[in-house]
Amino acid sequence: MLLLASNPIGDALNSSEYIFPILECFHITGFALSIGTIAIVDLRLLGLGMRNQTPAQLATDVAPWTLAGLGVMLISGPMIFLSDAAMYLRNPSFRFKIGCLLVAIIFNYTIHRKVAMSNGSSSGLSKLVGALSLLLWVGVVAGGLFIAFY
Amino acid sequence: MSLFPFFHFLQSTEFATSIRESALVYPVIMMTHLASIALFGGMILMGDLRLLGLAMKDHPVVDVIGRLRIWKRIGFVIMVTCGFLLLAAKAELYYPNPFYWLKMTLLALVGVHALVFHRSVYGNLPAIDRAPQMPGTAKVAAALSLVLWIGLVCAGRWIAYYEPAKTAVQAAHR
Repeated sequence: MLLLASNPIGDALNSSEYIFPILECFHITGFALSIGTIAIVDLRLLGLGMRNQTPAQLATDVAPWTLAGLGVMLISGPMIFLSDAAMYLRNPSFRFKIGCLLVAIIFNYTIHRKVAMSNGSSSGLSKLVGALSLLLWVGVVAGGLFIAFY
Repeated sequence: MSLFPFFHFLQSTEFATSIRESALVYPVIMMTHLASIALFGGMILMGDLRLLGLAMKDHPVVDVIGRLRIWKRIGFVIMVTCGFLLLAAKAELYYPNPFYWLKMTLLALVGVHALVFHRSVYGNLPAIDRAPQMPGTAKVAAALSLVLWIGLVCAGRWIAYYEPAKTAVQAAHR
């Protein structure tokens, strides 16, 4: 628990008034890239958006950018967390967010990927998976925002 | 002429007051603002990356930018509407904030960008697909769009970190 109270990364973050907002800018840009690219596939699974491409083509071609966005998000996020770890751990919105995030990431790389690669774009299953994916990622954003209002 | 009376009026309306005083409505509007940035801002980034030849190169620009256009427009309307409601709720607080004005300037420049590049790029997508290589104008448009949109997000975030001088605070609370 000592690590939570004081750690080198957290101390560095708290030593400058600019580092924290800069990290937040990276965090937002990162999740815009990852969630936006996933949403392109989700829309397609729902039978909307880029309908001239198959879900498999879209899922394959956005994948590196989704991963890049996730990478930026998953580096900046934990750094923000370490700036005040004890507060975040007590915050129910934060716990909701992390729960949604874990489910969303696992879902994205298992069921979501499998359904997109199978190209069954008009089936009920595809639509369900697309809608669920959108819902999970909006849940992550919502949980993150509500941390400040709890 | 100072715009402050308008900001004061905006914040004083019954509608803005009810948003400001609600423990739930205000953060829900902010969450919707942020979620539309995530969902549709990411699509804007992908369109820019496509024009720069970095992403989705196997797919026509018409599909990557054209087919997602309606969704980006819906997202833009939701984002701006929520942004305006957030402004209205605390207009007097935003008025002296330089990052708010920076953000509005960037938003206006997004409009200018759309007008400037409509003929050559965004209203001309089939010709861009037929071109043997990506026209320089399209790449310039994409690079500027990336700068403007990432700048908008950063300016927006920075609004929360501006600490006004005491006189400005007093002016805002008068």
